Amino acid sequence: MTITPNGFDLDNTGQRIVVDPVTRIEGHMRCEVNVDDEGIIRNAVSTGTMWRGLEVILKGRDPRDAWAFTERICGVCTGTHALTSVRAVEDALGITIPENANSIRNMMQLNLQIHDHIVHFYHLHALDWVNPINALRADPKATSELQQAVSPSHPLSSPGYFRDVQNRLKQFVESGQLGLFKNGYWDNPAYLLPPEADLMATTHYLEALDLQKEIVKIHTIFGGKNPHPNWLVGGVPCPINVHSTGAVGAINMERLNLVSSIIDKCIDFNKNVYLPDVVAIGGFYKNWLYGGGLSSQCVMAYGDIPENANDYSAANMHLPRGAITNGDLTTVHDVDVRDPEQIQEFVDHSWYEYGEPGKGLHPWDGVTEANFELGANTKGTRTNIEEIDEAAKYSWIKAPRWRGNPMEVGPLARYIVGYASGHEDITEQVNGLLTTMDLPVDALFSTLGRTAARALESEYCGRLQKQFFDKLVTNIKNGDESTANIAKWDPSTWPAEAKGVGMSEAPRGALGHWVRIKDGRIENYQCVVPTTWNGSPRDSQGNIGAFEAALMNTKMERPEEPVEILRTLHSFDPCLACSTH
Amino acid sequence: MPEIETFYDVMRTQGITRRSFMKYCSLTASALGLGPAFVPQIAHAMETKPRTPVIWLNGLECTCCSESFIRGAHPLAKDVVLSMISLDYQHVLMAAAGHAAEAALDEAMEKYHGNYILAVEGNPPLNEDGMFCISAGKPFVEKLRHVAEGAKAVISWGACASYGCVQAAKPNPTQATPVHKVITDKPIIKIPGCPPIAEVMTGVITYMLTFDRLPELDRQGRPAMFYGQRIHDKCYRRPHFDAGQFIETWDDDNARKGYCLYKMGCKGPTTYNACSTIGWNEGTSFPIQSGHGCIGCSEDGFWDQGSFYDRVTDLTQFGVEKNADQVGFAAAGVVGGAIAIHAAVSALKQAQKKTQSTPETNKEEV
Amino acid sequence: MTDSTASSPLAGTDADAEDLAHVSRQTSVYVYEVPVRLWHWINAAAIVVLCVTGYLIGSPPPTMIIAEATHQFTFGYIRFAHFAAGNILAVAFLGRMYWAIFGNHHARQMFYLPILNVEWWREVLFEIRWYLFLEKRPKKYVGHNPLAQLAMFCFVTLGVGFMIITGFALYGEGLGAGSWADRMFGWVFLVVGGNSHVVHTLHHLGMWWIVIFMIIHIYVAIREDIMSRQSIVSTMISGHRTFKDDDPN
Ligand code: HEM
Ligand code: HEM
Ligand code: NFV
Ligand code: SF4
Ligand code: SF4
Ligand code: F3S
Ligand SMILES: [Mg+2]
Repeated sequence: MTITPNGFDLDNTGQRIVVDPVTRIEGHMRCEVNVDDEGIIRNAVSTGTMWRGLEVILKGRDPRDAWAFTERICGVCTGTHALTSVRAVEDALGITIPENANSIRNMMQLNLQIHDHIVHFYHLHALDWVNPINALRADPKATSELQQAVSPSHPLSSPGYFRDVQNRLKQFVESGQLGLFKNGYWDNPAYLLPPEADLMATTHYLEALDLQKEIVKIHTIFGGKNPHPNWLVGGVPCPINVHSTGAVGAINMERLNLVSSIIDKCIDFNKNVYLPDVVAIGGFYKNWLYGGGLSSQCVMAYGDIPENANDYSAANMHLPRGAITNGDLTTVHDVDVRDPEQIQEFVDHSWYEYGEPGKGLHPWDGVTEANFELGANTKGTRTNIEEIDEAAKYSWIKAPRWRGNPMEVGPLARYIVGYASGHEDITEQVNGLLTTMDLPVDALFSTLGRTAARALESEYCGRLQKQFFDKLVTNIKNGDESTANIAKWDPSTWPAEAKGVGMSEAPRGALGHWVRIKDGRIENYQCVVPTTWNGSPRDSQGNIGAFEAALMNTKMERPEEPVEILRTLHSFDPCLACSTH
Repeated sequence: MPEIETFYDVMRTQGITRRSFMKYCSLTASALGLGPAFVPQIAHAMETKPRTPVIWLNGLECTCCSESFIRGAHPLAKDVVLSMISLDYQHVLMAAAGHAAEAALDEAMEKYHGNYILAVEGNPPLNEDGMFCISAGKPFVEKLRHVAEGAKAVISWGACASYGCVQAAKPNPTQATPVHKVITDKPIIKIPGCPPIAEVMTGVITYMLTFDRLPELDRQGRPAMFYGQRIHDKCYRRPHFDAGQFIETWDDDNARKGYCLYKMGCKGPTTYNACSTIGWNEGTSFPIQSGHGCIGCSEDGFWDQGSFYDRVTDLTQFGVEKNADQVGFAAAGVVGGAIAIHAAVSALKQAQKKTQSTPETNKEEV
Repeated sequence: MTDSTASSPLAGTDADAEDLAHVSRQTSVYVYEVPVRLWHWINAAAIVVLCVTGYLIGSPPPTMIIAEATHQFTFGYIRFAHFAAGNILAVAFLGRMYWAIFGNHHARQMFYLPILNVEWWREVLFEIRWYLFLEKRPKKYVGHNPLAQLAMFCFVTLGVGFMIITGFALYGEGLGAGSWADRMFGWVFLVVGGNSHVVHTLHHLGMWWIVIFMIIHIYVAIREDIMSRQSIVSTMISGHRTFKDDDPN
């Protein structure tokens, strides 16, 4: 038994459970835990099992193209890397963007938050709590009543509506071709919802599937497509023309109306479906308080959604910035991503090489050199790993640290930082939810807290989206239609050498890109990504990462059925393509 | 497979009337660009066919292809998944994980051996024994080969599976390799794009279900119906191209009038895809309509064609960072300079010769 | 092709016994028949047009706003001129190939290299030395001198051939899948890996290859006209090669 510096008792005796692939996430991930006789997790190991080498591929390229490469780090949080990339390049080259570009970028980023959160909750997470097979036993009338009780203004709530869905589900199940639901853990006692709630939530699974394709159209309008909209160093590529000839070839009144109607759809769904579902489902799982992990100790956010263009100071951000360590909620530290003492990445347990053990590198000086090797205690072979040896290198994810601490990032981290620093909207939302659900603040530090924070954030982002829409329209009204600053578009205007950093709050948490530019080309490019933080392996000090910490001490109903592991891992919305890039 | 219900059964028991079923069929027909004459054929296909099992594998990728797939509007993603195919293995959406997920895969492979469609998103890396992409403890490439063995046909989703995409961009550190270079004994349909358009993805699947055959493929193995023409061939800005009316720089007057993006590096003239016709996200827009050039995302190696913003791109193929004109000007300059010197020397020699000899004695020189 | 013996002073060139007789006894040989001359000047004109319009296709002139797009065809005309010249170039090239078979033996010279003929290589070397001012006295040639033959083959036969093949591959993209050009030249895209942007780049580079040829070609033609022992420029007009002396060597 060892106690890690960040305070977790690790015991790798007992039964070793392997979950590989971890599904309903983005990318490839493996998880191994040791459970004791009572089925309680006493050791947790999370492994990122893919690497593509984007940081290597970016070297030598045109910095103006980098957004497109980094955007392809992930198609789920699509756009957020691109935004972070153009910010990094603009920072390096001293490029400012027009106010309209800031509003449009904000709307796109907020839109991503909402989309990602809704898809996460309904399609990647819900099946950990909701049993669609059990929904077949529901009385549609009772479901209708439940729906009307939790969300009186949601129009789709008649018994007939739920009966139709149930019938469709029934046919699907009776066909014997269970498809995506096949081999789910449907008779595991961990599922606690009554059939009515299961039917309601399953119905919303389908509604959300229909809705999400509408939401992203804001990306399509401004960026031409989704996934992977287009961006531009110096602004946004879409011109605005609302008054004169040729307007139909640009952002015009029709486009703005479409944006506005989508924003309203987001707001409605958050209010009428998403939040009520979280409250309703959460209510049945109130006592499942596992999964807090690092959230009560070390959380961090970079902040995002700048009110005014080109000001990336914490005070100008709608999503909060700051770091909390040692569980001290009374102190919110400033985060300076340029400070080589603050952010460093370690690779002692990662499949990379720095040439020196225990070394940490600030991303501006970061090195990405793959080195796949397994520890002596690995069970299996090099190409057939049965059990991994966490004492050695064991993940394609690097281990980022803030002043030496592993940190949790993401919606919950943002909400804790916001709450601790007295962010008005966030405080109001959190207090409101806790009151509604009759829960203490401590309940936030849990798997469900993460899931709830995400829903609150989706709601908040919906409002912000509207705010920036209005700002855009007001600005156009005032005669400003500009969307791009081309003063430094031409590489001949650039300094011979420059370095910059871009930050954002991606759906899964704090995201940073660090770039060095030399002679008009990328000399070094490093990304430290939300899931790099959360999915971090151990570091040279033995600190475990956020996923690992959150799994600790969870009781599993049936160790061979990893429902509980999935619940907690999913509550982070892991993105492995992001984490390793 | 008698326990398998048909698509029509599913729709009927959902409370969908014969009339709206026929309407659905005619919508499908028009989505596929077919005339009303095909509606009965589609209806018949839907009435008699069981849901086709699909196994979807993920290699090195970014999951944007899955994301695009669920954006499908006609048909809706939920209808595809609930009523048209049986998605028996799909990491991003499936309920089961770990052993239970792999058991579902084994079962589907065994039960539908020779009959399932293998859809691949992403690609296998071959370096490091394939361990840059590990699934269930083993190299992904192994899984790919194993599942392909019993597949009826393979769909390569997106630029990753079709061509390698971003991870295969130079220097391709993991040796990410497109599917057709690893699976060589199965019919492979490439649906490139980064990602492909949702309705193209579902369009190809519905085509195969409806007509019970593989779509006609172009020279590169892409369905001709969606990849037969360039963005440029059907771009609504084409009249501006022909007129020579270009956006000269971002956000200029010409941009606000929607002129052609050629000078901003648009790769529409060399990109085969359906964006300028079908459009993205239910036809809401497509890259060019929103003011950015096409970056050629459905073409092989589009990451390595120089900057996205140059029309005459840098010669990355030759390891120099100058474009054809810069190289050409330089070479022509060198040749021109050499000729100038050569001409000067020649003139000098000629002058010397003239002073040294009379014209008649020319022949006596040896 | 040549019945001169290896010891002949003009071995390795395309001169035959009859030519040799002319070289020593007469002052003029009919080298370039009408089709060759016609082709030459059509070809020259087409290539100039192709280079100018081709360059503009890569880097279009500044936007002109004369009318609504539908009623203005500025860039379209530039491209049309390119394709028209391209088609003329290609047809003329085919005609020239036909004449290589049915014309006089000089007409063949551009299309082959006698690379197995040691003497020919020696002559190439001699010509290089001549251009490097290492030889005092130039030799007489009826057709192309061997170095010129090498240059013509590389720049024109291969160069223009390459431009025609890549040009029509690109043209096939515009005509569309299944068009004659696509069927005949579509394979070009597969050779470069599939992305036709690569073909644009190669075609564009090819232009510079041709431009470099033009610079050298015109310079050398004029220089040789002055410094060699035979007529050059007028030969491509009249077809007759006139020699400035009677010495066969
Ligand atoms: C000496 C001969 C030629 C020269 C110097 C030449 C030069 C060029 C150049 C510089 C380009 C621009 C390439 C780019 O950067 O996109 C071009 C494009 C093109 N050329 Fe040629 N070319 C020649 C022959 C031909 C021929 C024989 C054809 C056949 C019809 C042809 C058809 C084309 C086509 C179709 C394009 C693309 C036009 C477009 O994208 O709008 N070229 N040419
Ligand atoms: C793009 C422009 C041109 C091209 C592609 C071109 C190409 C050629 C070719 C292929 C030949 C060899 C003919 C054969 O063996 O059948 C030739 C010969 C010749 N060209 Fe050009 N030419 C060009 C422009 C010119 C110009 C502008 C002149 C005039 C100064 C010129 C003068 C000659 C002469 C004098 C010959 C005959 C050389 C000899 O007697 O061996 N050419 N040219
Ligand atoms: N981790 C991560 Fe992302 C997010 N959110 C990136 O920045 O998902 Ni793919
Ligand atoms: S093709 Fe593009 S969008 Fe699809 S997985 Fe690959 S990188 Fe992502
Ligand atoms: S915008 Fe692009 S695709 Fe459209 S006409 Fe211009 S060059 Fe062609
Ligand atoms: S970039 Fe891709 S999305 Fe379409 S317009 Fe070009 S193929
Ligand atoms: Mg990194």
